[in-house]
Amino acid sequence: MSSRKFLIGIAIAWLIAITLLHAALNLHWFDRAKKTASANSRFRIGFLPVTCHLTCPVTDFINKQMTGESIFDPVRFNGWPELKEAYLSGYTPATFILAPMAMALREQGVPIKIVYLGHRDGSAVMVHKDSNIWRMADLRGKKIAVPNRYSNQRLLIFRALKQAGMTIEDIELVEMPPPDMPAALYAKAVDAISSGEPFMGQTELDGYGRVLWLTKDVWPNFISCVLAVHEDMIANHRDVVQRLVDGIAKSGKWIDASMDHRMEAAQFVANNYYNQNPRLLSFVLSKPPDRVKYTNLALRKPDFEEIEALGREAGILKGTVHFADYTDDSFVKDDSAVQPYAWEPATKK
Amino acid sequence: MSAVSLRNLSIRFPGKRSGQQIDVLENVSADVAAGEFVCIVGPSGCGKSTLLNIVAGFISPTSGDALVEGVRVTRPDPRRIFVFQENGVFPWLNVRENISFGLRARSKEEQNAIVARYVEMVGLNGFEDAYPRELSGGMRQRVEIARALAANPDIIYMDEPFGALDFITRLKMRADLTRIWQAERKTILFVTHDIEEAVQLADRIFVFSKRPATLQKIVNVDLPRPRDLDSPSYLRKRDEIFRLMGMSSRIGEAIMAS
Amino acid sequence: MSAESEIISNVRSSPDVHAVRGKRLTIWPPSPDALLWRIVRPVGMAALFLTLWGLAVRWSHTDLFPTPGNVVRGIVELGEKGLLLKYIVASLFRVTWGFTLALVLGIPFGLILGWYSRAFQAFNPLIQILRPISPIAWIPVAILWFGVSDAAPIFLIFLASVFPITVATIAAVQNMQPVYLRAAQNFGLGRWELFHRVIFRASLPQIITGVRIALGVAWLVVVAAEMIAVNSGLGYLIIDARNAGKRYDLVVAGMVMIGLIGLVLDLLVRQLEKLDAVRWGYARR
Repeated sequence: MSSRKFLIGIAIAWLIAITLLHAALNLHWFDRAKKTASANSRFRIGFLPVTCHLTCPVTDFINKQMTGESIFDPVRFNGWPELKEAYLSGYTPATFILAPMAMALREQGVPIKIVYLGHRDGSAVMVHKDSNIWRMADLRGKKIAVPNRYSNQRLLIFRALKQAGMTIEDIELVEMPPPDMPAALYAKAVDAISSGEPFMGQTELDGYGRVLWLTKDVWPNFISCVLAVHEDMIANHRDVVQRLVDGIAKSGKWIDASMDHRMEAAQFVANNYYNQNPRLLSFVLSKPPDRVKYTNLALRKPDFEEIEALGREAGILKGTVHFADYTDDSFVKDDSAVQPYAWEPATKK
Repeated sequence: MSAVSLRNLSIRFPGKRSGQQIDVLENVSADVAAGEFVCIVGPSGCGKSTLLNIVAGFISPTSGDALVEGVRVTRPDPRRIFVFQENGVFPWLNVRENISFGLRARSKEEQNAIVARYVEMVGLNGFEDAYPRELSGGMRQRVEIARALAANPDIIYMDEPFGALDFITRLKMRADLTRIWQAERKTILFVTHDIEEAVQLADRIFVFSKRPATLQKIVNVDLPRPRDLDSPSYLRKRDEIFRLMGMSSRIGEAIMAS
Repeated sequence: MSAESEIISNVRSSPDVHAVRGKRLTIWPPSPDALLWRIVRPVGMAALFLTLWGLAVRWSHTDLFPTPGNVVRGIVELGEKGLLLKYIVASLFRVTWGFTLALVLGIPFGLILGWYSRAFQAFNPLIQILRPISPIAWIPVAILWFGVSDAAPIFLIFLASVFPITVATIAAVQNMQPVYLRAAQNFGLGRWELFHRVIFRASLPQIITGVRIALGVAWLVVVAAEMIAVNSGLGYLIIDARNAGKRYDLVVAGMVMIGLIGLVLDLLVRQLEKLDAVRWGYARR
C-alpha cells in the first residue's frame, strides 16, 4: 500500500515542520538561546493589563533600561481565574492579585503573603450617558456588573449602598470579565459597570459612558490590588523579594512624581506590556490626575480590617484569618523614605 | 476414510422468549467422500446453512460431531475454505489482493503466478486491479471462488453462493464451477435452495426436511457431465426430489407431503 | 467476453463516470464546467455574505462591530507586525500535537474496546461521563498539571478530539460485518493479523468519519485552549484583542482566520476519503 506509506510520510513531515516552525517563531529556540539561559534563573510575576497593576510593567521596564535586565519576568494573564491558578500551581510565585482574593486563599490554607499594595483608588462606577441614573438611589432595581465576587468593587458597592441607605437586595449584581464590560454598557445589557481602569475610562473616551462616582469620592484611599508572594519565596529568596518590593515602591513614586512620567508610562506600558491603545492609558492616568494613585502603598492594618469586615458581611470571607496571617510588611520599613527611580526617558525629538 | 463425516449432529438455539429452545438440526449423520460434489437442499429456514457453518467450524453443535478427515472440527481451518453468499470479498482490497489473501506465506513470484492462474480460471482477466465496489455481483462471487481456490484447500464449503445473482448469471456460474471442479477435483459441499441447481451440479444430494431438520434422503445423481437439462433422466431426478420435498412439477398443483 | 457486459450493466450511469475496461473507475478530473461551478458557487455565496455583513454594520451605525474592510485591515496589520505567521503556526502546532496524540491513543484504544466486550463494559461508562465535559472546564486541571506552557493547550485539544475518535472507532468495530471476521478466521489469521489486516481495515471508513469530526472539534477548541496564558496563537489573539479594548476588528479577524484554516483542514480530510482503502465504505454519489 504505497499510498499508505506516502500518507505516513507526509504526516511525519508535517509534524516535524510545524514543530520546527513553532520553535523558531514562538519559542525562540534558535536565536535567543543565550538570553533564555540567564532568564531561566528568574522568577515570574503575574499581572493583568489593568492600571491597578501598572507598577509591575513600569518596574520591569525601568529596570531593564537602567540595568539591562528584569528583576522578575512579568507574565500577562487575561483573567482572574488563570492568574490565580498559575499562582496556585507555582508558575508565578509572585503576583498582583485582588486583596480579598488573597485573603480568601489564605483562609483556604494557601501559603500566600501580601507584601505591598498595588495602588490606591483607580476604580469607578460608570453608567450610560443617556441613562437617568445620577445618584446611588437611582440604581434601585438595576443591573450592575462587577468583575469577581472577590473584587473590591463588589465591596465598594456594598459600602456605597450602605451609605445610601440601601441593601444588596435593592440591586442586581452580575459578574462579568472587565474587558466585556464596555461593550455590555454600550449595548445597555447592564445599567452600570464597575471595575478597575482602563475599562471604565474606555467608555468615557468612546463617548457613551458617564462617571456615576469615582472610588476616591466614596472610599478615599481605597485599596484593591496588592502584590503577593509565596511564603517559600520569602523563606528561600528573601533578597529577590526585597528587590522586587523596592522596585515596585520606587516605580510607584516615580509614576506619581510628575504628569510627564505618567504619560511616558502610558506609552511604554501600553505598547510593550498591555497591548492597548496608549491614548486610553494616558486618559485614565490624567483625567482627573488623582483618578488612581501609586504612593502610600505600605500595608496598614486598618485598611485590611475594613475589608475583612465588609468581606464577612458580603459573605466572601469567613473571618478566620487576620492581618498578621496574610501580610508581611517587613519589606518596606518606612514608606516615606522610599525614593523614586532616578530615570528620565530620553527626549523624543 | 471419508473427507467429511457427520455423526448424530444436533443443534438447538435459544428462542426469542426466555426458556424457549428451538431445535434446528436433529440427529444428522452422513459421509462425504474426497473429491465428491455434494449438494444440500431443503426448505428455507431448515438449517442447511447452519449445518454448513458447523462443519466449517464457525458454530459448535449441541450434540454429535462433525469430523473432517477423521478429526473433530472445533474451529475454522485454512484447509477448508468457506464461500459466502454475498459480501465475502474484502471491499478494501482489490481483486488481486483478495485472491492472494491466503497466500501470505509464499514468495512474491509464487503469489503472482497463483493469482494469474485463478484470475484466468474464473474469467476475470483485466480486472486484477479493480475493487469489489466496481464489480457486479457475479464477478464478486468469482473473486471469492478464486480466493478460495488459490488457497488450495482440501474442501470448499459453499453457502448458496449464487443465490444473489440473476438467472442467466447463475447458469453461467454453474457451468464455470463444474468446469473448475472437474479440473481441480476438490471436495465441495454446496448448500442451495434451488433444486434444479442441485441436480445440475451434484454427485449426491442430501435432502433435508423442515425444521427440526433431519436428513430425509440421500439421492444419487448418476448423470454424466455436462448435465443435459432436457434429458428425461435429469427431469426424473428433479421430480423425485420435488416429490420428496412435497412439491409438484406442475405449478399450482398441491401434493401431500409424504 | 460477457464479463464486460456485466460490469457495464452494473455501473450507474452518470455524466462524469468514465468506465475503462480493466482500469479502475475514476470520477476525476471532472468536466471543465463542473469544476468551474464548484468554485463559483461557494465564492459567490461568500461574496454575498460579505456584502450583507458590511451593509448591516453600516445601517445599524454600530460603533463596535467591524466591517469586512476593518477586518481585512486588521489582518494586514497583523501581517505587518509579523504576528500573523507566528500566531497561525502556534495554533497549528498545538492542534497538530493534540490531535496526533488523540489519533495515536484513541484509535487503538477504540479498536480494543470495540473488540473485547469486557473491556468495553469496563471503560464505556467512564468515557460517556468524561465526554460531555467541555474543555473549558478542564482548564484549571490543565494548569495544575502542565503549568503555563504549550503542554496545557495541547492537553485540552487532545481531550476534545480523543472522544469522537474513540467512540467512532468503537462503533465501527462493533458494527463490522461478521462475514469479514469469519472469512479471515477461515484463512487462519492469528489475533494480531486479524486486528491489523481485517478489523482495522474494515473499520477505517467509519474511523475517518470520526477523525473528520474530531478535527473540527479540535480546531474549534483552540480558542478555549489558548485562554491559558500562552502568548501566541489565534485563540490568544481573540482573547487578547478583547483586553486591548475596542479591537473587535482583531477579534473578528481571528475568527475569520480560524474559519478559513478550518475549511482547509476539512478539505484535506475529505481527500483522505477518496483513498481506495476508505472509499469503499461510502455510498457512491
